[in-house]
Amino acid sequence: MAWKRSLVGIVASVALTHGAAAESKPDKVVIGYLNLVNAQLVTKALGLHEKELGVPVEWVRFGSGGDVNRAVAANQLSFGGVGNPPASIGIGRGLPYKGIFALNMLGPVESLVVRESKNINKPEDLVGKTAAAPFGSTTHYLIIAYLRAAGIDPNSVKLLDLAPNDAVAAWLRGDIDAAYVWEPSLNKMVMNGGKILMDSGTMAGRGYPTWDVAVVMDEFAAKYPELVAKFVKSECAAVEFWHKKPDETAALIAKELSLPADDATRMMKGTNVLPCAKQTTSAYLGTSKAKGKFVDTLVSTATFLADQKRLPKVEARMTYEEFIAPKYLETSLGSS
Amino acid sequence: MTALNQASVEAPAEKPRLAMRVRAEHLLTAATVIGLFALWTLLSRYKLVNPLFLPSPEVVWKSLIEVLTSGYQGQRLHQHMAASLGRIFAGYFSACAVGIPLGLLMGLSTRVKAVFDPIVEFYRPLPPLALYTLLVMWLGIGDTSKIALLFLAALPPLSISAMQAARSIDIGHVRAAQMLGATRMQLFRHVFLPSCLPGICTGMRISLGFTYTVLVASEIVAATAGLGWMIWDASKFLLSDVVIMGLFVLGLTGLALDWAIRQLERLITPWRFV
Repeated sequence: MAWKRSLVGIVASVALTHGAAAESKPDKVVIGYLNLVNAQLVTKALGLHEKELGVPVEWVRFGSGGDVNRAVAANQLSFGGVGNPPASIGIGRGLPYKGIFALNMLGPVESLVVRESKNINKPEDLVGKTAAAPFGSTTHYLIIAYLRAAGIDPNSVKLLDLAPNDAVAAWLRGDIDAAYVWEPSLNKMVMNGGKILMDSGTMAGRGYPTWDVAVVMDEFAAKYPELVAKFVKSECAAVEFWHKKPDETAALIAKELSLPADDATRMMKGTNVLPCAKQTTSAYLGTSKAKGKFVDTLVSTATFLADQKRLPKVEARMTYEEFIAPKYLETSLGSS
Repeated sequence: MTALNQASVEAPAEKPRLAMRVRAEHLLTAATVIGLFALWTLLSRYKLVNPLFLPSPEVVWKSLIEVLTSGYQGQRLHQHMAASLGRIFAGYFSACAVGIPLGLLMGLSTRVKAVFDPIVEFYRPLPPLALYTLLVMWLGIGDTSKIALLFLAALPPLSISAMQAARSIDIGHVRAAQMLGATRMQLFRHVFLPSCLPGICTGMRISLGFTYTVLVASEIVAATAGLGWMIWDASKFLLSDVVIMGLFVLGLTGLALDWAIRQLERLITPWRFV
């Protein structure tokens, strides 16, 4: 009998918190952030969310969007960040989150580096070579897209799943001749006999844009919509800081990621951080009424992943449209 | 005297009762397995858990058939199994070949122990993933580093149990055999080996378990086939049906290998099973 009573108790208390929560604030907000260079590091370094949200903020760093997806599935986060491939995967698997803010458009900060001595100058030269990319990431998506666009069967290249730091070790040992990875690992390969064959900015121009978005959990957004708007507001403030004070930004980023200042500056140049007013245009998130190009990217990424048997199927376009939620951006743009 | 009589009177009744007890235990085991399976079916049938966390048995079964027939990322299930078992065998048996003699020597000579003990004791508690990053730098991303990691995981239980076995030899038995004029070879064959084998066998079973626990870690970096890699890769894409199916296959192959070692145990130390 005791367990029944306690079960009733749990149900009752869950119901109560649901009812009462609309006005109250959460005990803390957990933000999962990606280990890459964008204005979110400024938000973190300057403590903008801590000031704006008025609740304790816990920052958790993730090495990849795939890891963020796992944490989201386990309901461990309030906010997170994912690239377009993990976002397509998450949407396809029914993860309860929405994309609310474009963290960055990826440029030369992610590039395909090849060993100079191997005389690799075009996609065809990669056939029979060993290449690395972290599977499930933006660059895994792009290296296959790059090969397929050139009419090459991706299976004719020996593609290995390596995290960027492991790829550096494999590169130095001579185990691999190509890698599509991001900074600062990328630069270590360039410095050791590598040259850039392709970069994510060029791929974006060819119709394969890659980006990272900040996501919010559906449950959190339903309970605390005003906090989500405030989150976006501070992110926008950080973007402004990024564009107005590049030197200070570089210093902050260098400190956050324990990098030399040169690295931070180079990585900033390779990343396109979008001003908030631009994010609601049709090329990006769009507006609540007319969602932008990000939906197309999600659909084509999902189609691509389904072709690779990484996703069981491509969802209806509607599902990807619902994921993109510019309304908090609109609120914050309207109020400022 | 009365106790002896009682024992002899009860002895004939012992056998059928034992058989009955074994059967009852088998029933309990079967009930546990069926019960868990039924719970799983019910939980997913009535959608009590998110299918992302626990896909239904049908979905997991379908993914098994799918991977058996058309494969996961270009390799079929038996190829994934072969890749993993090949690595496990290579790591485990080379660890047996090194660890057991090393342990016996460590048990017999305090000097040998003094040399090797700090090495084994130091790396034994290190997390395999931390060790693995170094192995990748030293040995590359191929199978060598993977097998080396499995070898390192398998080694300590083998050498420690062999060492304990060698140290616990009853010195009285050795003296008795020597007094009866046993040669060194005979001493080894009839006293030393029989008293060490049970300990070595236990170590082999524990070691196999350890080897299994690092399989996924060893296949995370740059593998393109293997059960551990399949599970890791599928989890990146939130394909929980493949993850659970992979865990079942991994668990069942582990059980089969453990069973094989127990059969070997019966074969080489038959006196423990009469």
